[in-house]
Amino acid sequence: MRFEEQLVELLPRLRRFARGLAGSAGDADDLCQAAIERALKSRDQWQDGTRLDSWMYRITRNLWIDERRAAGRRGVHTPIDDAVTQIAGDGAAEVEAGALRDDVDGALARLPDEQREVVMLVLVEGYAYREAAAILEVPIGTVTSRLARGRETLIHLLGEAA
Amino acid sequence: MTFDSATVAAFIDGELDDLTARRIAREAASDPALAAEIARHRALKARLTAHFAPIVEEEPPGRLRALLVEDRVDTSLTDRRAAKRGRFAPIHWGAIAASLVLGLTIGLRPWMPAADVADAGGTLVASGALAEALDTQLASNQPADAMVRIGLSFRDRKGRYCRSFEGGSLAGIGCHEGERWTLERTLRGAPRPAYRQAASGDLAVDAAAMMAGDPLNAAAERAARDKGWTD
Repeated sequence: MRFEEQLVELLPRLRRFARGLAGSAGDADDLCQAAIERALKSRDQWQDGTRLDSWMYRITRNLWIDERRAAGRRGVHTPIDDAVTQIAGDGAAEVEAGALRDDVDGALARLPDEQREVVMLVLVEGYAYREAAAILEVPIGTVTSRLARGRETLIHLLGEAA
Repeated sequence: MTFDSATVAAFIDGELDDLTARRIAREAASDPALAAEIARHRALKARLTAHFAPIVEEEPPGRLRALLVEDRVDTSLTDRRAAKRGRFAPIHWGAIAASLVLGLTIGLRPWMPAADVADAGGTLVASGALAEALDTQLASNQPADAMVRIGLSFRDRKGRYCRSFEGGSLAGIGCHEGERWTLERTLRGAPRPAYRQAASGDLAVDAAAMMAGDPLNAAAERAARDKGWTD
């Protein structure tokens, strides 16, 4: 199958992943567009026979991280960033349990970036720990510990029964 | 509990070797705390999966496909950003129309008698709006004000499709048998949605104990509904 055709096939899943990272539909499709443009430009770097999906997820995730960092440097603080500094990680315990029980997007937005991407890859996209670690280029132990923290925060924010 | 929460999480994620996975499953049958922990994690995963499932079924926007199919259209990101503000794509209108229809058929029936349960020869079965919700409503796509909210859908050990639900006066788990939903668990419902969460914790534990394998994801739920909850 042609490179482009494989990307077309991957597109629905990639949009889902991007939505989880970027939050809004518009930003997610902008992220997908940037990722596809990047992939088309650097297609020589993809080795035929290796998994195209992992490669595309890595490109998408790296573009998103770049954008988040650039926004941080520009001093653009979205409400999401404020929420993260206030209640991410241990601070989440201070927010009432079940405070966001009807708001999955809101709960995800409150996770630190490095937890959100692991939650999306493993719990939504269904990647094995090993595959998620390869996409993110971190050790497996890092994946499992970030995943555990992300899970606890989400269960807390969404309420016991999630 | 002899399994730490990392192991339980790995169990849910399918990361354990068969032997350990079987030990956990066996132990959960007699250890309510472990069963509850498993149910908690399963419920989170099911909720996230259901939340994002509709995106995969959408037709990707033309500007993304255009980058990849033959006659390429040059689309600059800036132009697109300007153009998309305040505009609903047809898919959105479709979704709105669909939720309106669902809302009309399921949500707004104050005139219906509250006969959600019937007695079929000594067995409690769902009827009325509850039966209709169990038959047709998808957890991944239900109106916020639906009278009955569907929770998890799964197969039990007898191979039946079962679904947990929460409504105004009744919450529980129904399993599809013949043409009916046999009510396997019933709890008193909560009058207002805000109070319903307490019941769903108990139901999630019951569901975890009944279920064979994982809960249905959104696609499987839709497929099962379309086949009338039979094989």
